[in-house]
Amino acid sequence: MNPDFQAFVQTLVQGLLTGGIYALVGIGLSLIFGVMRVINFAHGDFLALGMFLTLFLFKTVHLDPYFSLLIALPLGFALGYFIQRFVLSRLGDRLSESSMLATLGLGLIVSNMLLLGFGAQPQTINVPYANNTFTLGGIQVSIALLVAGLGTLVAIVGLNLLLYRTELGRAIRATAQNPLGAELQGVNTRTIQATVFGLGVAFAAIAGVLLLPLLYAYPTVGETFTLKAFVVTVLGGLGNLPGAIVGGLFLGGVESLGSFYISNNYRDAYGLIAFLLVLLLRPEGLFGKTVKRV
Amino acid sequence: MTAIAVKRPRALSFGNLWISAGIIAVLLLYPVFFGKAMNFGVSTVLFAGFAMAWNILGGWAGQTSLGHAALLGVGAYTMTLLAIPERGPAWLHSVGIGSGAAIAPWWGILAGMVLAVLLSLVWGSLTFRLQGSYFTLSSIAVALILRLVAINEDFTGGSQGLFMPDLPTFFGLDLFDRRVEYGLAVGFVVITLIVTHIIRRSRTGYALQAVREDEDGARALGIDPARMKLIAFAISAALTALGGGLYAIYLQAFEPHTLLELPLSVQIALMAIIGGRTSLQGPVIGAVVLAVFGEVFRNLFSSANLLIYGVLILVVTLFAPGGIMGLFSRRGRRLGTAR
Repeated sequence: MNPDFQAFVQTLVQGLLTGGIYALVGIGLSLIFGVMRVINFAHGDFLALGMFLTLFLFKTVHLDPYFSLLIALPLGFALGYFIQRFVLSRLGDRLSESSMLATLGLGLIVSNMLLLGFGAQPQTINVPYANNTFTLGGIQVSIALLVAGLGTLVAIVGLNLLLYRTELGRAIRATAQNPLGAELQGVNTRTIQATVFGLGVAFAAIAGVLLLPLLYAYPTVGETFTLKAFVVTVLGGLGNLPGAIVGGLFLGGVESLGSFYISNNYRDAYGLIAFLLVLLLRPEGLFGKTVKRV
Repeated sequence: MTAIAVKRPRALSFGNLWISAGIIAVLLLYPVFFGKAMNFGVSTVLFAGFAMAWNILGGWAGQTSLGHAALLGVGAYTMTLLAIPERGPAWLHSVGIGSGAAIAPWWGILAGMVLAVLLSLVWGSLTFRLQGSYFTLSSIAVALILRLVAINEDFTGGSQGLFMPDLPTFFGLDLFDRRVEYGLAVGFVVITLIVTHIIRRSRTGYALQAVREDEDGARALGIDPARMKLIAFAISAALTALGGGLYAIYLQAFEPHTLLELPLSVQIALMAIIGGRTSLQGPVIGAVVLAVFGEVFRNLFSSANLLIYGVLILVVTLFAPGGIMGLFSRRGRRLGTAR
């Protein structure tokens, strides 16, 4: 293979796999927005929570990071459910502004609690396979990145089945489309909203677990990922789940190619510029004329 | 026939002026009693000014910005770059402007304000087409891009930041003397208070409130919402850059990681919101309360100083949408908006 082309494919594959994780983070945010019209400013901090949970379990009981998925999933769900049910739902029908500020506050509380608990020092775990790679047709792929990509795929398929093949999914979609109508049909929208927030937080936590073998964990790591999640969801259209997947892959690809071909220093800027352009030119996202909801 | 005495509501503006005067008096008395804690004093008063400046856009125009650190940074960077002869003036000289000598901080601050206004006009005209949370999101993105530029470019000193070895005296006063800085900071707050007082009862102020409450309604009355928001943003930007220049003098050395970070923008916004966007002086109160809280819990939370912000903003959104000052007015308890 032509070395230039090989480098291009290598960069792209790397970017798309990272993009898969961005998609996972973005989907949680988009799901929450689709049902509750709330932009969750604490999203990245829940991801950080997932990272530190994994780190903690690894350091104390030597639990394999991928096993902690089984713990992060229910815990994240419970936390999100609790937060929506007992905190955010109290805001009632007030401006979306209030819920934005409330989630901003929650995020600050989470990240600063992590700071108190674990210190500001970036930490990571040493698992034997963290740096393993395999080569396929001249393209090097990191195992941890591939696992993360596969995990994302499983999570997305699972969410899709939940939304389109179960009664709960029907209730969620109904609540997203028309809360009052759903309620008149006997859907308990309060429970549904709490469930959705739980799902969103669980997705963020899963992404955190999958990212830990790849990245250093530090308490404010969530800030970056909140922003990436915004970028992903806005690219795909807020509340549009398939859009979020494409948005995630797009962001991963753009970042990877941009930092390879232009300058690594501006890695975070490429996504933001794309984000601003989409906000300005197509606020409804890259796809579709109207904002499609869940 | 007896004329029916129209009972005027106890004029709010009258009371408000006294509250503002009281606040300024308290600020001026601080050095008398706490002359040893001037670092805390200067930064608190500067943040009170930042919160007031933020509130012109956030409270009166109702546009929540989480990117004000960028405007603060423009003020600080412009002033500092112009004050270090090898940087700004040398570059200006090379393109044929000036003699290459250091430019005095007051002119530097003025230049920073002009740049900040220009930035806000471009930034605003692009992003005010977006509403609500979208504007907030875009403000974060713009601020972050500026931060990346400051970190990665050489002319801003890169991630090392800038250091001002010396400054000329200001009417014979040493600008690095904390007491002088305190006086300037109080002056900054006074200016923001005056501007807010003027806006509040001006045509612009009423137009801004109309836009905030109901854009379509305002448009029907012949008010151009985009223009009104731009005016508010430009005023807010100019004042923030003014404070940014003073903040740079106070810091003397700064780096982009401390000056242009998202947490700084969040801090400024939350001070104003927690203090009360409803009230004219709310942001000052919020800044002082949060600074005192931060100082009291400094040993307990050390670096986790934003924890208290998180807790308070949650409490405020849940129980007191009008902020601290809103608790004192019936209206504020209901609505989270300035009047």
